[in-house]
Amino acid sequence: MTAREGRIWITGVGLTTSLGSTREATWTRLMAGERSMGPVTLFDTEGQRSRIAAEAAHVPALPPGVEPSSRTAALAWASAREALGHAKLSPKRVSTGLCVGTTTGGMLETEEILASALAAADPRVGPDAGARARLTTHPLSAVGDALVDLLGPFARVRTLCSACSSGANALVLGATWLRHGSVDAVLVGGADALSRLTFTGFNALGAMAPDACRPFDRRRRGLTLGEGGAFLVLEREGSARKRGVRPVAELAGFAMGAEAHHITHPDPQGVVAARLLGQALARAGVAPPEVRYVNAHGTATVANDPMEARALEDALGPSLDQIPVSSSKGQLGHTLGAAGALEAGLTALAVERGRLPPGVGLEEPDPACALRHVGPRGCEAQVPVALSNAFGFGGMATVLVVRDAYGGDRVEDAGPARLGPRPVVVTGVATLGEVDAEGALASLDGARARRLDRGASLATALVARALEDAGRRGALSDASQAAGAGIGDEGVGLVLGSAFGDVDGAAAYVQRLLAKGPRLASPADFPNLVPSSPAGHASVYLGLRGPVLATGDLSASGEAALVTAVELLGAGLAKGLVAGALEPRSRLVEGVLGAVFAGAGALPRGEGGGAVVLETADEAAARGARIHARVVAAFAWRDGGEGPVQALSLPPPKDPSTARVLRVRADPQGRAMLADSPWAACPEHVGVQRSSSAAGHHEALGAVVFVEAVGILRRGEAREILVVGTAPGRGYALVLSAP
Amino acid sequence: MTASSTELRAELKALLVSALNLRGRDPASIDDDAPLFGAAAEGQAKGLGLDSLDALELAMAVEERFGVRLPEGEDARFVYRSVATLADYVAGAAMQGNGPGPPGPR
Repeated sequence: MTAREGRIWITGVGLTTSLGSTREATWTRLMAGERSMGPVTLFDTEGQRSRIAAEAAHVPALPPGVEPSSRTAALAWASAREALGHAKLSPKRVSTGLCVGTTTGGMLETEEILASALAAADPRVGPDAGARARLTTHPLSAVGDALVDLLGPFARVRTLCSACSSGANALVLGATWLRHGSVDAVLVGGADALSRLTFTGFNALGAMAPDACRPFDRRRRGLTLGEGGAFLVLEREGSARKRGVRPVAELAGFAMGAEAHHITHPDPQGVVAARLLGQALARAGVAPPEVRYVNAHGTATVANDPMEARALEDALGPSLDQIPVSSSKGQLGHTLGAAGALEAGLTALAVERGRLPPGVGLEEPDPACALRHVGPRGCEAQVPVALSNAFGFGGMATVLVVRDAYGGDRVEDAGPARLGPRPVVVTGVATLGEVDAEGALASLDGARARRLDRGASLATALVARALEDAGRRGALSDASQAAGAGIGDEGVGLVLGSAFGDVDGAAAYVQRLLAKGPRLASPADFPNLVPSSPAGHASVYLGLRGPVLATGDLSASGEAALVTAVELLGAGLAKGLVAGALEPRSRLVEGVLGAVFAGAGALPRGEGGGAVVLETADEAAARGARIHARVVAAFAWRDGGEGPVQALSLPPPKDPSTARVLRVRADPQGRAMLADSPWAACPEHVGVQRSSSAAGHHEALGAVVFVEAVGILRRGEAREILVVGTAPGRGYALVLSAP
Repeated sequence: MTASSTELRAELKALLVSALNLRGRDPASIDDDAPLFGAAAEGQAKGLGLDSLDALELAMAVEERFGVRLPEGEDARFVYRSVATLADYVAGAAMQGNGPGPPGPR
């Protein structure tokens, strides 16, 4: 890949927001300083401290025949379609990947159904056919599935959740796909609609202002929720030039990490945020004086704004005095999963058009946020380089650097693009199942784990075990070491898969809400209902400060996490990532959702999961880690009806007689994918083989099978293994070799 | 200030343990005057080390259990200081709600 091909260009932006259902409508009203925040009309907000939001007035209806659908999916579709149009990109003709960030999925349409299903004496009898149909829109992955139906085909599809940085992380992951050459274009972004659950939850936390929010203002009293969809098209410069499309801007650099501080509060010192700002700039080859605009996370909560100001000061130094800063949340509200993508899109437009988005809601700057604030109307200014920040719940933070498309040196950052992805190895493994679940829970420090629900607790214990196996942390019971600071694992993060998130928890929360009213909604329970929460809790408990996020892809959620981790490591975004999945017991998954998605006749569902520690080969070598296995390649695909939409270039086994195929489940899709491959000649196993692996039947099985594959290689029973995991219409494959 | 009864303080201690999931903590072991939030000062009984998320959850639990709305913001600092101050506030508010009686805490 030449240096010219190496730049990642943003070639399309689509926005559907409270200011307008198109990019230009949103941009025009944004630059005029307008905001559309008013009483929520989607549901009753009686009795709540704050009753306003930036609701999208016109959400384009999906085409007929696509019911049931969710509002989140509609917001995603409108903006994704617009981005494709802007880029003149047809996924039918160009190999395109899709990455979606979201925190609510179909929660608005399903929260009440789930609450009554939980209340039903036997959830199996609960929802009627119509309600069951609606439930198909519930999982986070359903948003991407809707986009596949409406805008596809896509070569690969991934759904991410990292709270308020979800949309930004979708951009980062898509960029790694381009760098690795997996696809020629990516459609990346995020969407979230309002829901009773999120609205009452933020109210219960006291995080919502009773009136329209005031980012950086000394009188600010919290955030204003918004909703929206925002998608960008990214492609390598070389591809875009070949297609003859004009770029909007360049995605020049990025950094992901976690604070490991608290599940809802940011670290007031902003240490991790400052580090990420510095890393993103370094990767872009940009020095602070070159930055001419910062689009802040700027939620207007009491805690975020000064933390962000401090982080900007620490990272940019005296240059900050000359850099205008504004938060678009003063106009668009906090759009959760869409925010990171929405604000990146606005930043790209700012760079393209030489205009700075205003800072609305700010009248009396807080002295603790000593920044050069943009005024209440957009202004003209050349922006060769800009920053876009996204700092999520649980401290999951991402910084993006956006640059003028034709600016910057034509020399690559010292990234892996010229060399191919960095090699990745497995340095630790762990599984957890019904037999040892209670023991795992008991091994946690009760005081520090008290806020964690069962899923988060089991996930934390599982991740801790994997890290111990990798020699990256001391005994769990050592509270002082567990305090996190001693580990200093800035380079180690976590990618956890979950099919449905804490659906029982969400249902119980809504049940309580409907029965007792919003004042009695639990502020401590609410954060646990974001699907990224187990990963967030684990990162806080264990002091993991690398990239932290959740993935969701039905029963292939663990496989999605593993492949995502390999992609991020390959791109140099972390030194190590614990990757896997953990599925706790769930009345609703067992009673309702399992049947809705997997069909009746599925084996009785168990509880459990698996996790592995993946590191770059360099990191493992540097610390003298024992290598269990090498990751040769990782693939993801969507099925186009006659096999993968884009054929996989699976490396053939070096020696079929010492190679094996491990399939997570018996399914015709996996079969079809392998049919013409040299791996078809290798001995094949389905599911978990060793009875001691303590795995049950659940959506995290893929992670458990992966751990088993590593064990087989370590014991010398095979020299290469292909692991294949699928769910309806999608699949993942990883090739491992003996150390 | 209305003095709260031993029973009320015991109920509040039990509520603290259950609402905040202070697993394994015996409610009776919580000192009436121990600081609930932040670190204990020298010479003070060891505190519970709760944080602001706990304060929100506790306020919700107290409202649900006793029908008393705890104050917010600066007014809240004194009330949340210890089990004793919290219990006194609840007792006072409950008495106010039940008709004429001694004035409640400010």
